Amino acid sequence: MTTAAIRTSGLTKRYGHVEVLKDLDLEVTEGEVLGYLGPNGAGKTTTIRLMLGLIGPTRGRAEIFGLDSHRQTVDAHRRLTYVPGEASLWPSLTGFETLHLLGRVRGEVDLPYRDELIGRFDLDPSKKVRAYSKGNRQKVVLIAGLMARPDLLILDEPTSGLDPLMEQAFRHCIHEAKERGQTVFLSSHILSEVEALCDRVGILRAGELVDIGTLADLRHLSALTVEATFDGSVPDLTRIPGVSAVEVEGRVVRCQVAGDVEPLLKVLAFSGVHELLSREPSLEELFLSHYGAGSGDEGVPSDAH
Amino acid sequence: MLTEASGEHLLEVQSVPALANRAVEPTAPPGRFQTLAVAHATARKAVRSGVILGLVVGLYVLVQAFSYTSTYKTSAERAKLASTLTSGGLSPLVGPARQVQTVAGYTAWKCLMALTIIGAIWGLLTATKLLRGEEDSGRWELMLAGLTTRRRAALQAVLGLGAGWGALLAVASAITVAVGRASAISISAPSMLFFSLSVASSAAMFLGIGALTSQLAASRRQAAALAAAALGVSFALRMAGDSSPALGWLRWASPLGWVEELRPLTSPQPLALGLIAAFSLSLLAGSVYLAGVRDLAASVLPAKPGSRPRTALLSGPVGLAMRLTRATTLAWLVGIATMAWLLGSETKVAVKALQDSPSVQKALSRLSGTSGQAKVYLGLSFVIVALLISLLAIGHLTAARKEESSGRLDHLLVAPISRSVWLASRLLLACAVVTMAGVMAGVVAWLGTGHGHDGIGLSSMADGGLNTAPPAICLIGFGALAIGFVPRWTSLVLYGVLAWSFLVELVGGLGLTSHWLLDTSVLHHMRAAPALAPNWTSGVAMIAVALTAGALGIAAFGRRDLAGD
Repeated sequence: MTTAAIRTSGLTKRYGHVEVLKDLDLEVTEGEVLGYLGPNGAGKTTTIRLMLGLIGPTRGRAEIFGLDSHRQTVDAHRRLTYVPGEASLWPSLTGFETLHLLGRVRGEVDLPYRDELIGRFDLDPSKKVRAYSKGNRQKVVLIAGLMARPDLLILDEPTSGLDPLMEQAFRHCIHEAKERGQTVFLSSHILSEVEALCDRVGILRAGELVDIGTLADLRHLSALTVEATFDGSVPDLTRIPGVSAVEVEGRVVRCQVAGDVEPLLKVLAFSGVHELLSREPSLEELFLSHYGAGSGDEGVPSDAH
Repeated sequence: MLTEASGEHLLEVQSVPALANRAVEPTAPPGRFQTLAVAHATARKAVRSGVILGLVVGLYVLVQAFSYTSTYKTSAERAKLASTLTSGGLSPLVGPARQVQTVAGYTAWKCLMALTIIGAIWGLLTATKLLRGEEDSGRWELMLAGLTTRRRAALQAVLGLGAGWGALLAVASAITVAVGRASAISISAPSMLFFSLSVASSAAMFLGIGALTSQLAASRRQAAALAAAALGVSFALRMAGDSSPALGWLRWASPLGWVEELRPLTSPQPLALGLIAAFSLSLLAGSVYLAGVRDLAASVLPAKPGSRPRTALLSGPVGLAMRLTRATTLAWLVGIATMAWLLGSETKVAVKALQDSPSVQKALSRLSGTSGQAKVYLGLSFVIVALLISLLAIGHLTAARKEESSGRLDHLLVAPISRSVWLASRLLLACAVVTMAGVMAGVVAWLGTGHGHDGIGLSSMADGGLNTAPPAICLIGFGALAIGFVPRWTSLVLYGVLAWSFLVELVGGLGLTSHWLLDTSVLHHMRAAPALAPNWTSGVAMIAVALTAGALGIAAFGRRDLAGD
C-alpha cells in the first residue's frame, strides 16, 4: 500500500459555535494534482492551515506522507512547500534576500532552477519588497515554493494578482512538477486553471466536501444540457424521468437530463426534432450547481448534495 | 458621485415616506461624520496616546514638585541647592537652572527639558505612524478611494493629530494645575497652564516635523529616522547654546531652544510661542501641500529602489530577527548610552546638591553606609536605565508578535522550523540584547563620570549596569507567557506591567506605600547598584521566574493556533 501524500480523516475545526470545517475525509495520492474549489469562507484556507499544522484540529487528523501534521509538524514540513494567496513578506528585504532566506530555512534549493524561475516569472529580485506590486510579491512566494522542488506543493490561490502571461508560466511549472512526480494541492478560484491542471477536483461548501472526483466523473454524474428545436408543436417534456429545468422559447426547448437519456430520446424521436444539441456541463456549471444562486459565503446547507 | 453616495447613506436611515419625499428633494450634502472620516480615524488613535502622554507629564511634575518640597524643607537648604546647581555646569545637558530655590523654578528646571524631549519623541512617532505608517499598510489607499483627495485627506489627518495634541495639553494642564493648587506647591493656574503649553509646544513642532518627513521619506521607518535626526540636531544646537554665553544665540536655531526660551514658571517669555506656532503650522501646511503633489506611496526625496543583496544574516530565524531589529536596537542602544553618559557626567554636581540637604543625607544614610555618595546617586538614578532597557525588551517582544500577526511567520513555520525553536530564539536574542545594553550602560556611565569619581570602579559600574538586566529579562518571561496564552494582548500586558512597576517605584520613592505593593514591581527587586552590591540572589530569582514563564509561554505557543491581530 502506498502512502498518500495527504490524508485527512474526520478533520474538523470549530471556532466558538461555528464549525468551519466538518468531518473532512480526503486523500491525495502521490503524484496527483488535486483542485480544491469553494466560495469564500467555505473552509479552503482552514483546511490548508490544518494540513500545515498552523492551527490545530478540533477533531480528526491530517497526515502528510503518513506524518501527523499536528504532532510531527517539522518532519511533515520537510516534504512540502506552501504558497499563500496573500503574500505578506518583510518589506525591508529585497526579492533576492527573501528568496535566499526562504531557501535557507527550507534547507534544499535547486539554485539553477531558482534562477530559471526568476527569469520565467520576469521578476527583478534587486527591488525591495515594499517597492513590489501585489503581483510581484506573489511571484516571490511562488518562486520560493517551486524552487525547493518539494514532494508536495500546497498552493492557496497562488495566482492571485498575476497577469495572464504569468498565469501561463505558472501552469507550465505545475505541468513540470507533475511530470517530475510531485504532488500538488491547488486551492483556486480560477476554474479554467483547475480544469487545465488538475487530475481530480474536490468541491467544498460551508465546510463540507460535497463532491470529489475526476472532471469526467463529475460531469458523468451531473446533468447534460439538451437544446432541441422542433418543426411543429413543442411536446411536454416535464414528465419524462430525469428531465428538469425545462425552458420553452418559441419552438426551442432547453432542459437538463440526469442519468439515463433514453426516455427523453424516445419522446424526441417522435416529435419532429429539427435540431438537437447536447453538451456536458463546464466546471463552472458544476461548481455553480453545488451552490445555487442563493448560497452565500456562509453557505447555509439548503441543498446539500 | 457626492449626491449618489449621500443618497445611499440616507436610504439606510430614512423611513419609507421620508424616502418618497427625499426622491424629489435636492440631495443633502454628506453628513459631518462622513466628510471627516479620515480626521476621525486619525484623532481616535492620536487622542489615546495624547492622553497617556498627558498623564505622564502630569505625574512627572507631581512627583518632582512634591519630592522637592519634602527633600528641601528649609529655605537655607534650597538656597544651597540653588548655588550648587547654578554653578554646577549642568546647563548644557538639562538647561540653565533659574530660581531653583523655589518650587516653581526647581520644577521647571527638573521637568522642562526631559518632558520637552519626551513630547518631541511622541510627536515624531505619532505623526509618522498615523501618516506614513497608515500609507505603508495600504489603509490610506482605502481612505483615498472615498469621497476625498490626497490633500484633503492629509489635512484631515493633520486635524486628527491636532486633536491628539489637544488631548495631551488638556490632560497635562488639568493635572499640573491641580498640583499647583496644593498648599505645599502653590503655583498659580496660569503659570501651570503656560508650563503645560510649553511642554506641549515641542510635541506640536515635532508633530509637524514628523508630518513633513512622512511626505519626504519612502517608508515610515525612514520618516521616523529623518525626524529623529532633526531632534538630535536640535538637541545638539541647544546644548551648544547652553554651554557658554557666547554661543547663546544658537538656542534660537533649535526648536528645543525655543521651548527653553519660553522660560515657564520662572520668567515667562510668551513671545517665543509665536515662533513655535508659526514653525509648527508652516510644517503642517507644507506636509498637506506635499501630500497633494506627490503620488500615493511615493516619496518627495528620491527613493532608492533596490540594493545589493546582503544575505550574511539571512540564514535562519535568529539571523532574520537580528537583521530586522538591528536598526531599532541600535537606536535604543544609542539612547541608553546617552542617558547613561548624562547620568555619569551629572554625578559630581548632583552629589554636591545632595550633600547640601541634611534631610537627603538622612534619607540616604542607609545606602551610603559603605559607599561613596556618587555611588548612591548612580544607584538611585539607574532605575531610569532599567526602565529604558525594559522598554527595549518590550520592543523585541512586540516585534516578535508582529511577525506572527502579520502572517510573515507562516513562511518560517511551514519550513522545517519548530515553533518552540523560533520563539525561544527570539526570547534569547532579546535577553542577550538587554544584558549587553545593561553592561554597556554601566561602562558608559563610568566613562561619563570622568573615568571614575568618588572611588567608582569600572567593574562595579559594569556590575551596576548588569544589575538592570534581570527586571527586563523577567519582563521577557511575562512577554512569552502573553504570546503563548493571550497573543493579542501581548503589548498591553507588557506595557501594563512596566507602567505599573514604574508607578510603584515613583510612589514608593515618596514613601507612600507598603512593602507588599512594592513587591509587585519588577523594578523594585533590583538593588540600587553600585551603591549596594547587586543582589544576585534576587537577580537569579527573577531569571528563574523568567525561565518558568518562558517555558510555559513557549509550550502554550506550540499548542495554540497562530493568531492574527
